[in-house]
Amino acid sequence: MGSKDTFIKPLLKENPVTLHVLGICSALAITNSLTSSLIMSVSLTAVLVLTNVAISLIRKHLPSSVRLIVQITIIASAVAIIDQVLTAYLPDAAKTLSVYIALIVTNCIVLGRAEACAMKHGVGTSILDALGNGLGYSIILIIVAVIRELFGNGSLMGHRILELVHEGGWYEPNAMLLLPPSAFFIIGFLVWGIRCWKPEQNEKADFRPAPLPDSEKR
Amino acid sequence: MNNDSPVKAFLVILLTALVCSSLVSAAVVVLRPIQLNNQMVDRSRNIINLTGLIEKGVTPSDEEMLELYRGMDVRIVNIDEAEFDNELDPLSFDPRRAVNSPELGVNIPADQDRASLGRRSRYAPVYIVLRDEELDRIILPVHGTGMWSTIYGYVALESDLNTIAAATFYEQNETPGLGDQIMRPEWQEQWAGRLIYDEVGDMRFAVNHGKVEPGSSTWLYEVDALTGATVTADAVTGMMQYWFGPHGYRDFLDHLREHGSGEH
Repeated sequence: MGSKDTFIKPLLKENPVTLHVLGICSALAITNSLTSSLIMSVSLTAVLVLTNVAISLIRKHLPSSVRLIVQITIIASAVAIIDQVLTAYLPDAAKTLSVYIALIVTNCIVLGRAEACAMKHGVGTSILDALGNGLGYSIILIIVAVIRELFGNGSLMGHRILELVHEGGWYEPNAMLLLPPSAFFIIGFLVWGIRCWKPEQNEKADFRPAPLPDSEKR
Repeated sequence: MNNDSPVKAFLVILLTALVCSSLVSAAVVVLRPIQLNNQMVDRSRNIINLTGLIEKGVTPSDEEMLELYRGMDVRIVNIDEAEFDNELDPLSFDPRRAVNSPELGVNIPADQDRASLGRRSRYAPVYIVLRDEELDRIILPVHGTGMWSTIYGYVALESDLNTIAAATFYEQNETPGLGDQIMRPEWQEQWAGRLIYDEVGDMRFAVNHGKVEPGSSTWLYEVDALTGATVTADAVTGMMQYWFGPHGYRDFLDHLREHGSGEH
């Protein structure tokens, strides 16, 4: 696998959200505003890069019996540091994102990449892999957030784009888009769209239903 | 050393823990002053926005906020004695810590405890805004138990000590999307102009259970409900009833109305 591939593949072909369906919790929770989504995207990418590098550096000295504990410790520390940086330099955004920054620890993308890539590859490849997956996650988050904020609130990053009816404009906002389930639908449609375009992403059926016995056929 | 030996596992864990914890501690120590400054700016903004000192639409910078805040006239009120206290230092007094102190705190009688607090501080820091040497606004801290959390806010009264000039809630952990609507500026804005007491001095302010109809009997005293957040809304009503009732600021406000704020 070439280094270019390592970076490009997670953007669409092996996107962590739409193909592996990871990181859904935060994708549902914070995509009602584009600003939060951008901050979340940058934070997650930063955590991914930090942890992938750290784990890749020490991968040859990690006893397999305790490797998950060490990985999680490193991830949790990276998240704690990012959390501190955010509360210091972006206090308002940190307040809106509140618990979701801390929850990056449990974002399966981070541990997934640590296990799948950083444990097996050198630092260079791990950085590319982290950036690729961070960006892949960010793309989905941004698409969902643009749809939700624009049609749910008529604004983007807090700037008014569509004039709302109750402010004298013409656009009646769809309040459902501001609630978490709407992100579920949007991600669902994205997964569907991508898999229609690239059918090789469809998983093989895990099992085939047994044929009905003749007596039950009508 | 063999990767699978228990000694190596132990060493790796120990080293990881040491390195990670020192990195996190370093981040906390380095960033602490900036975070504290943010908190100060935040607190200043909450107070300054209630003073009416800045024009609508103007957003002062962080430094200007801190400067304005430092210039505020902050005093300690002895709630039970209904007058200003001259002994405690208003800048260092911490009402949240005072609640559980045997001397500084006091139990709230159960039949009066509309805010479900159990105990409160005997003293409260209040902010006074003067205009031409006369009291223009007074900003009083309030808090009460909501659905999930303690809600903290400030209520600013006009010089008649009855009309609400502005109000804000700045700390809560109510249900996201429902109870936390008390933080929305649009909802807080409708507090301005409501009255706390009626002509005979009964505490009337409340959060309505629906929309307040202009001209109705409660119009002067009530603000609109919060959709889907009855418990939080009732908690806000209870909080106001307590703090502006006989065990809250009521006597102090009466005293201030009669004697003015000059005895400081």
